[in-house]
Amino acid sequence: MKHGKYPLLAAFLLPALGLYIYFVISPYAQAFYISGTDWLGLSDTYNWVGFDNFVRLAKDEYLRNALWHNAVLMVLLPVITIVLGLFLASMLNVGGGQGRVRGLPGSGLYKVIFFAPQVLSVAVIGVLWKELYNPRSGLINGGLRALGLDSLTKTWLGDPDVAFWAVLAVMVWANVGFYVVLFGAAMQSIPRDIYEAVALDGANRWTALWRITLPLVWDTVQVAWVYLAILALDGFALVQVMTRGGPNFSTDVVGQRMYDVAFGEFKFGEASAIGVIMFFLTLSVTVIALRLSRREKVEFS
Amino acid sequence: MSAHEVSRRTVLGAAAAIAPAVMAGCAVGGGGNTEKVEGQADAKNPLGVKDDAPLEVVIFNGGFGEDYAKAHQAMFKENFPKVTITHTAVTEIGKTLQPRFIDGTPPDVINNSGAGQIDPGSLVAQAQLADLKDLLDAPSLDQPGKTVRQTLLPGAVETGTFGDKVHILNYAYTVYGIWYSKKLFNDKGWTYPKTWDEHIALCKQIKAAGIAPWTYQGLHPRYMSWPVISTAIKFGGPQVALNIDNLEPGAWTSEPMKMAADAWHQIVKDGYILEGSSGLDHKQSQTEWSKGKAVFVSSGSWLENEQKAVTPADFDMAVGPTPSLGAGDKLPFAAIRGTAGEPFIVPAKAKNERGGKEYLRTMLSMKGAKDFTQKVSSLTIVAGSAEGVQLPPGLKSCVEALKASGDKGFNWVYPVYYRKLERNLVDAACGEFFSGRIGPQEFLAKCQKGADEIAADTTFKKYKRSA
Amino acid sequence: MRLLKNPFPQAFLVVWGLMTALPLLWVFISSFKDDNEILSDPWGLPGALRWENFGRAWTHGHIGQYFLNSLIVLSVSLTLTMLLGSTTAYALARYKFPGNRLIYFMFVGGMMFPVFLALVPLFAVVRNVGLLNTLPGLMMVYTAYSLPFTVFFLSAFFRTLPTAVAEAAMIDGCGPFSLFFRVMLPMAKPGLISVGIFNLLGQWNQYLLPVVLVSDKEENYVLAQGLAALAVNEGYRGDYSRLFAGLTLAIIPVLIVYAVFQRQVQSGLTAGQLK
Repeated sequence: MKHGKYPLLAAFLLPALGLYIYFVISPYAQAFYISGTDWLGLSDTYNWVGFDNFVRLAKDEYLRNALWHNAVLMVLLPVITIVLGLFLASMLNVGGGQGRVRGLPGSGLYKVIFFAPQVLSVAVIGVLWKELYNPRSGLINGGLRALGLDSLTKTWLGDPDVAFWAVLAVMVWANVGFYVVLFGAAMQSIPRDIYEAVALDGANRWTALWRITLPLVWDTVQVAWVYLAILALDGFALVQVMTRGGPNFSTDVVGQRMYDVAFGEFKFGEASAIGVIMFFLTLSVTVIALRLSRREKVEFS
Repeated sequence: MSAHEVSRRTVLGAAAAIAPAVMAGCAVGGGGNTEKVEGQADAKNPLGVKDDAPLEVVIFNGGFGEDYAKAHQAMFKENFPKVTITHTAVTEIGKTLQPRFIDGTPPDVINNSGAGQIDPGSLVAQAQLADLKDLLDAPSLDQPGKTVRQTLLPGAVETGTFGDKVHILNYAYTVYGIWYSKKLFNDKGWTYPKTWDEHIALCKQIKAAGIAPWTYQGLHPRYMSWPVISTAIKFGGPQVALNIDNLEPGAWTSEPMKMAADAWHQIVKDGYILEGSSGLDHKQSQTEWSKGKAVFVSSGSWLENEQKAVTPADFDMAVGPTPSLGAGDKLPFAAIRGTAGEPFIVPAKAKNERGGKEYLRTMLSMKGAKDFTQKVSSLTIVAGSAEGVQLPPGLKSCVEALKASGDKGFNWVYPVYYRKLERNLVDAACGEFFSGRIGPQEFLAKCQKGADEIAADTTFKKYKRSA
Repeated sequence: MRLLKNPFPQAFLVVWGLMTALPLLWVFISSFKDDNEILSDPWGLPGALRWENFGRAWTHGHIGQYFLNSLIVLSVSLTLTMLLGSTTAYALARYKFPGNRLIYFMFVGGMMFPVFLALVPLFAVVRNVGLLNTLPGLMMVYTAYSLPFTVFFLSAFFRTLPTAVAEAAMIDGCGPFSLFFRVMLPMAKPGLISVGIFNLLGQWNQYLLPVVLVSDKEENYVLAQGLAALAVNEGYRGDYSRLFAGLTLAIIPVLIVYAVFQRQVQSGLTAGQLK
């Protein structure tokens, strides 16, 4: 492939490269630079302040509060979603009882339904759930009242003790279906006769799930964990639409903080510094996760 | 990247470390200085507008819409027929215009309003706004013998004053109070309470009638800070507001504030708030109110417009002042919070700064103001401009309330100086307080903590006012 | 039947199925109600089929305009993404040249950056080419931000394609360009479909980028953004039935597309997952 190599490379690479450098690389590079300034975003005057923004942010209790929420999300969102996803997937794919290694009846329909939220925009999901959580005319309290469970009705997004969990629940709701399908695909590749063998040994569904399915889809679970952890670091769109971080900062996340600091207070230097912090957090999560999975892979093979 | 701007003035040491290609289309780089267009001032043209220079106007497309602005522009063109006016209406003023400010090429007039407004404190702190003194001292367009300043309602100019300069013209006059349906009151034989005790007694009566006395904008609880602060000011006098605005230590925990917070705590304690209010946003809660599920709601005079679609025809909306705490109150019951809102600005770097100011002068003419009131059902800061205009019930009650309030009206401006303090910090404290999770003392302490944080934060420019 | 002995799994599936489907059904049903019905009886059925709610959402709520905008943006950005992504991936996967690895990692590294970080400067960058508040601006930015994953995924795909076919085609006198378009691209079809669906959904549901880049001109809002504005903005006047009708209009078409292509969507998305 010697002749004509460079014309092709130029034609194939340069347009994408130009677009990418201008719209992606350059903004990121600038963001790092701006994070070292006191730029207020309304004039072209600014001073280089070094790490001042970071020093101030280190003491900022609102940012700490938001980071804490992201951290909790980072643990809980993957755990809950993965457990639910694995459980549902195993029901659908290998759950049809001992010795009958196939899914429950109607599993195709279930898959379609479970997966549906995944194709909706996060913004749409946020608007939808805001109405579901409406304490007076929403579906949830309405349902509880209809069932005579009035004591369980809550103000949901209005109660700082509940709002965070309400947001987390929406994240789980929106994502589980995806992992049902993902884990389902992994489970399909597990040889059927393994289950038949353990079924003969008298193992029930739970032991089969625990001893056979889980180890064999472990790789996929790890991938799921990384993705969900990164998702948990964001969470902005949902929070912005549903609560804007309130009440009393109980649902605040780093993304919302940055948005407020940038477009509410016009402190673009500080906002960029928050962005840089987010970047390093995402990077560390990814690197740690990749390290872990690589080591495990070596052990497995 | 060839899009690199050549004329970038600000080249910093550290910037040089980053390859120019990467900094292409740099966010912080500005444009060159714009040259102002100016004309000859005379009696007919006191601000010296160049009679053929283009004028760019950007309007916030919110509750008031944009039609009123088009009418103002037509009036402007009557006097300056050769001027071409560019009119834009947007919903996110901040995100739209921020780059133009950085670029040094802002429009000539901006209606800096809405949730996405540009933080006014930041604009002033960065010297982005023109001083409106010459406009205020110019003769009124259609009230002979008076300067523009002399045609305005008392207190109107103060809301846009930062230090010794006027940078913002708040055009609409907003009345803040407690809103209710007169029809409901007539039907039930209730009278609007003048004292706190009457208020509580009425709440009891209302609750007994199976209606919730109060609801509030649960997800934006700062709306409830207004009646609390109003009660405190009426008890302790305007100094209460002054201390809050000036971020004085202990301003929020002063005696009048304590009295007010204690009083308002009662509607929480006694369960006078519509169940679930804390989980409703402004439109959800106000709709419950319009449907008669709750009797009182705290808001400003935009409420009538906002609720138009869901208000029953015979609702007969009315506003009332906050009840007096007792005989010791420094201000009478009728005293109400009235303030100029709906900010208009002329950027310091506007190319046609004089044209921008002349545009404001047109808006402030009696004709311009009357037209505005007619079109959008809102009062303006031009004194007497509502006279002879057919007003909807809510607005009519505003006019009456203002008349009764007379020179005892009051206001506070800390949300203009420090947007974050009201929108984030006081907001959060109100949420905790009115949902009953914290008591009055903790509530005030939380507000005070927020104010102290702002006071200690050197990245916020501080303003003081003396009256 | 074992199933009858242990109804738990089936029950669990039903419960989760209901939890997923009910909210959506509730929105559809509510969109026929009037404001009073919505506010007073969340579990009640509409008194009449009020199709006019949809009319109001479509015209006054501008849902129709937003819908069209989303379609226009996507038709260009998706085409561009696939074209640029596949050519870049191909060049990186099948050719050796100095800087290959560097460029590859530059693209792939983009997957790890939070879009948030770029937001403020991106705004300026888009403004400087005069594309702020325009649909072409969104097209360019969507494409640029879709490239990392597309390049990553497709270059892995191109690498797995057999070299023998390419060599045979070259011997037949096929030039490098026609080799790509006539031979390699058709062979990569399954990969292209997967990544195409992944990008389609990702771009269709984009919220953050349009909120920042097209905040000015309401007539240029895309669907997700317009709907959120309808629900959240303070300028909004209480009109619940319109909001629910708007939600329905935003959800139904995506669900239909999804139901028809569900196999491809699921495999496309899960393939996208395994990065």
